[in-house]
Amino acid sequence: MRSPEPSPAAGGRPVVEAAGVTKWYGETTALDRVDLVIDAGTVHGLLGPNGAGKTTLLSALFGLVLPDEGELRLFGRTRATAGAAWLDGVGGFVEAPRFYPYLSGRANLEVLSALDGGDAPSLVDHLVDLVGLGSDGDRKVRGYSLGMRQRLGLAAALLRRPRLLILDEPTNGMDPAGIRDLTAALRRLAEDGVTVILSSHDMHQVEAVCDAVTVLHRGTTVWSGSLDAMRGEAPDPVWQLRTSDDAAALAVAGRRAGVDALRHDQDGPLAVMAGQAALDDLVVELGRAGVAVRALVLDTTPLQSFFFHLTEGRGADPGAAPAAATGTGLGPRRRAVPSR
Amino acid sequence: MTLASGAWPTFAADRPADDRPAAGGRQRGGSAVVWRAEMTKMAGQWRVRAAALACAVAPFAVLMAFNVQGATPSDTLFGQWIHTSGWAVPMVVLLWSGQWLLPALTAIVAGDIFSAEDHLGTWKTVLTRSRSRGQVFTGKLLAAASFAVVMVVIVGGASMLAGLAGGSRPLVGLTGQTVPAGHAAWLAALSWSTQLPPILAFTGLAVLLSVWTRNSVVGIGAPVLLGLVLQLVSMVDMPLALRHWLINTPFGAWIGLWTQPRFVGPVGQGAATSGLWLAVTVAAAWAVFRRRAIGAA
Repeated sequence: MRSPEPSPAAGGRPVVEAAGVTKWYGETTALDRVDLVIDAGTVHGLLGPNGAGKTTLLSALFGLVLPDEGELRLFGRTRATAGAAWLDGVGGFVEAPRFYPYLSGRANLEVLSALDGGDAPSLVDHLVDLVGLGSDGDRKVRGYSLGMRQRLGLAAALLRRPRLLILDEPTNGMDPAGIRDLTAALRRLAEDGVTVILSSHDMHQVEAVCDAVTVLHRGTTVWSGSLDAMRGEAPDPVWQLRTSDDAAALAVAGRRAGVDALRHDQDGPLAVMAGQAALDDLVVELGRAGVAVRALVLDTTPLQSFFFHLTEGRGADPGAAPAAATGTGLGPRRRAVPSR
Repeated sequence: MTLASGAWPTFAADRPADDRPAAGGRQRGGSAVVWRAEMTKMAGQWRVRAAALACAVAPFAVLMAFNVQGATPSDTLFGQWIHTSGWAVPMVVLLWSGQWLLPALTAIVAGDIFSAEDHLGTWKTVLTRSRSRGQVFTGKLLAAASFAVVMVVIVGGASMLAGLAGGSRPLVGLTGQTVPAGHAAWLAALSWSTQLPPILAFTGLAVLLSVWTRNSVVGIGAPVLLGLVLQLVSMVDMPLALRHWLINTPFGAWIGLWTQPRFVGPVGQGAATSGLWLAVTVAAAWAVFRRRAIGAA
């Protein structure tokens, strides 16, 4: 496991500090000595399969659940010392954002802005437009789609002018344009100095927006560090390859250094694990061998492979991790080309 | 305007020098803020508006019904005088509503105000703002109490207006004495005001059930059921000391105001009984609420 390294942002301490945070629900250990350090102005991805402890950790950050052991600090303060001010400057939501169905989206924001006080009411109209609800803001929330609720949840979070924005699967139910806009918006926020914690199952989204990543598995931190560091440790991507002669293609691949290939079933594509250079060489070599390439599609990115390895292949030597760990039948390290 | 291109609320510019976040910060008077938010939510609920409307209209409907039928509810105190003096109207309405309608009215909100957040899944929305649980609890409790008081004022006030419309004439008291019209109006208003302590006690009970069971059906239904059951129980002989401390006994504390000589001891005893019920139920509700974990297991 790679340990999180405290690296305070210039001129200040980390925005989020978790040290040995543990939470039990009866016999179940939801969080097991979780350490986490998140610096100001970064977008930090929180990854893990269902039941990994992501929601419990986010709930603890919001003070919705109290850790049984360990210490949590937001902006350098513990909940015990800060009291209700613990959430000052913090906005976001855990799980799907929920609202009062008998009120309009705008009225919901007005209720929440009343709770927030300050100048929040003046932001309501602006935020309704900003998140793309427009005239739907005047409709009752009971008629909203999941994507509209997510947009309203984002507006409710932004109402607090947060310096720490915590978002749990914010793109669930959003249309592609909304996802694209949100991704760009999160980067803009980080450039403005806002710290973002993004819990997501979507590795593509995490790759696109995050600076650093923490992977949880069964309540423990199995990896934490920068996205660049994760890329450095990740295996090669896996591609789906369709050819005019799969048998010949497998034979060619077997002779190439840095290429693993296998076939799942008679009619399916070949699974090829290779870096970009090795893949280019393979395609050229296939052409020379008279094998036509009919389709070449990225199946699993390096980070996806690494994530699968961390969360499905735990406990084994990385080189001997089960093939299922990549989700493709190929292990996370190069190995001998299977013969037919 | 889109998420990507729109002007976002400024975050970094308004940071205080000590690097403590100001945005979304805690305000003073947190319970009052929560109370206002709860009142806004109440105003958006049709059943709350319907209850208020029914309370305003019902006394006039009672007056009209008896005027049209010409009958008298002679089995009810003051019922036989309903065609003699308009001030019998607020007392008949009070007698009919005191034991179960008023508990039902307060339970509509108090029995739902906490459990609705469970039902709708909105606790995470509420508790992720900068309000402590104590502020949220107090604000909700005050909102439920406000609703109860407003409902008593509406139904009591409408009953008084209906009485006025029925004719401001002298009314016969419970010991046969004639009560002048002006004094009868005053006693009727005073009698309605004695309903406030017990309705607040029922508010506390409904809040406790709402917090404890997280179930609005129980929170709303149980106080009404309890009111009906205790109304039956009160017909059974029981030690006076025990009867004094039943939650519904104070609803009848006004009777001594209409006798000659007047006795007001039950009003004070009723206030003490209601205060005790309110204190115990609210303390129990807070004990449950403050320990509750809001999160996924």
